[in-house]
Amino acid sequence: MTEEALTAEATEAHGTGEPMIVIEDLSKWFGDFQALKDVDLVIGKQEVVVVCGPSGSGKSTLIRCINRLEQHDKGRIVVDGIELTNDLRNIQEIRREVGMVFQQFNLFPHLTVLENVTLAPRHVRRAAKAKANEAAMKQLERVRIPEQANKFPGQLSGGQQQRVAIARALAMEPKIMLFDEPTSALDPEMIKEVLEAMVDLAQSGMTMIVVTHEMGFAREVASRIVFMADGEIVEAGTPEHFFTNPREERTKQFLAQIL
Amino acid sequence: MSGVRLDLQEPLPVPETEGPPARRLDARAWARENLFSSKLNGVLTVVFGLLLAWVAYRMFRFVFVDARWEIIERNITNLLVYQFPRGELWRVWAALYVLAASVGFGVGAAGRRSSLAAEADGVPRQGRSMVLRRVGPLLVLVVVLLVFAQSLTATLLVAGVAATAVLFRVVGQRVPLRRARLASLLVLVGIAAAYLTITAFGGVPRDRWGGLLLTAFLAIGGIVISFPLGVLLALGRRSSFPAVRIVCTAYIELIRGVPLITILFMSAFALGFFLPPGSERPSAVTRALVALVLFTAAYVAEIVRGGLQGVPRGQLEAAQAIGLSPLKTTRLIVLPQALRNVIPALVGQFISLFKDTSLVFIVGLTELLAVAQNITKQSDFVAQGLFVETLIFAAFVYWAGSYWMSRESQRLETRLGVGVR
Repeated sequence: MTEEALTAEATEAHGTGEPMIVIEDLSKWFGDFQALKDVDLVIGKQEVVVVCGPSGSGKSTLIRCINRLEQHDKGRIVVDGIELTNDLRNIQEIRREVGMVFQQFNLFPHLTVLENVTLAPRHVRRAAKAKANEAAMKQLERVRIPEQANKFPGQLSGGQQQRVAIARALAMEPKIMLFDEPTSALDPEMIKEVLEAMVDLAQSGMTMIVVTHEMGFAREVASRIVFMADGEIVEAGTPEHFFTNPREERTKQFLAQIL
Repeated sequence: MSGVRLDLQEPLPVPETEGPPARRLDARAWARENLFSSKLNGVLTVVFGLLLAWVAYRMFRFVFVDARWEIIERNITNLLVYQFPRGELWRVWAALYVLAASVGFGVGAAGRRSSLAAEADGVPRQGRSMVLRRVGPLLVLVVVLLVFAQSLTATLLVAGVAATAVLFRVVGQRVPLRRARLASLLVLVGIAAAYLTITAFGGVPRDRWGGLLLTAFLAIGGIVISFPLGVLLALGRRSSFPAVRIVCTAYIELIRGVPLITILFMSAFALGFFLPPGSERPSAVTRALVALVLFTAAYVAEIVRGGLQGVPRGQLEAAQAIGLSPLKTTRLIVLPQALRNVIPALVGQFISLFKDTSLVFIVGLTELLAVAQNITKQSDFVAQGLFVETLIFAAFVYWAGSYWMSRESQRLETRLGVGVR
């Protein structure tokens, strides 16, 4: 792929056409190791972007930069018109707009499912308890586990925990959801229920960035697939293009390995 | 998932499970399996069994036959409060009632919330016998004290204290508290109120306290003050501000490098350094309390720091990702998990503190152990070798308090589910 074609594929917002996240020239180092190399990516409103690539390619780092779990060293990130800076208030503002789901769920083990989900609305948005509970139950119904509300995370299966994690992120009514390998830590029989919840979410019009190896999900749901290797975006395009007609040699190799 | 299909299998049905076979042994079979499983084991069982029986026999014989407990009986008030003015003793009783009411209420309210959670968990509610086992060591202590006191008034008053505690526990279970934290706050208020009951309004200042009362004051005061201080030090040591970090680290390492006795000695001068010149010299009890608090806080800080390090990084990231501020992340996510994991070590430190209060005799205070020594020098008892009786008595009181704390810690651990993630 030529440099221009790549840039066009990566930086043209799909979805509704309006940009939701703009990433320009992003670089990040861990010590001497450069994890991200001048990444350019624009994500449109209501777009579902799947990021894939071999391990160590920088895909997790990329999405962790968006809500400042990692600090980028160079370049610019603009989320829904707000540029990410070092100002804590600014970071908090962006985190309120961006929900995140982790590979290891990271539910709070000392709180019940309901308390996990209501924590942020109550302590960040200062919602009243009754109201927060009601909203939380709605989110739990959305991921189909309202009956587990009073249990503790340790009593749930991995799939259920991950769905609670999705509900927890949704409780802040974010405009963007980031998924960092949400099914990688799950037993195979539990992957489906989590993917179903994500499909529902995508169909409701949520802007999503999903780091995953679930190519079935990518094929059916993604509006664009971004393939990364060695901290760079190697190829970006629609699922159709990506699976049937990849241009880059590295993409072909990767697909041959995982499909 | 309307309209979209994923190439994934339906979950397989789970087959019905069979429980393990019941395993019951009668006493003979149990003994054969556990005590006489081999020749060597049989010999060891017999040898240690005889040794144990002999020790137990000698102990019982001493305690119930040979010992002359008269020294304890005659000095029971001295052992409990020492030179506390006898005319003001009603204040101590009143304080006990205040304490019983607040602790009863707090335990009831806290128990209500946690048993609601436990029910959701499917954990069976704790029965009455469980409650008795919890306060068992304290119960034994009180009974022994009453046996020595041989006073109807005291027995009735103690019964009243117990009844108050039970009553307020029931009240606590009925009154819905909006926050569980209020329950522990109430207990703290109760402790403060009990202290004021004894000291305020023409009461007895703490400098004139002695015996078990002083021991309890130093232990409870030490725990209540050193715990939050230790938590702050632990957080400070992990702070991202270098100045805070260096001060906290230096403090912790300095204190941990010095024996408690030295700190107790030095508290006499050291407090003088920090107070404005010309201000009144703090009393011996204040100095002792400050020394115990400073000492314990450093150890608590290191224990808590261990707990903080044990909280996975993912917890922090999740809290950040949902937008919690750093302060709230610490308060709501990190500290609860960190403290839960270090309950055994923390309680161990507090048990140490409780027993270390006996060292304050070196700054001239007369707590329980010092009283136990002093009374053997009374003219009626001097030079009769009665220190064994008084030491056994003091040891028993320390044991009862320590064992009670240890039990409470075990109960807390199971309640909070340490290790059952």
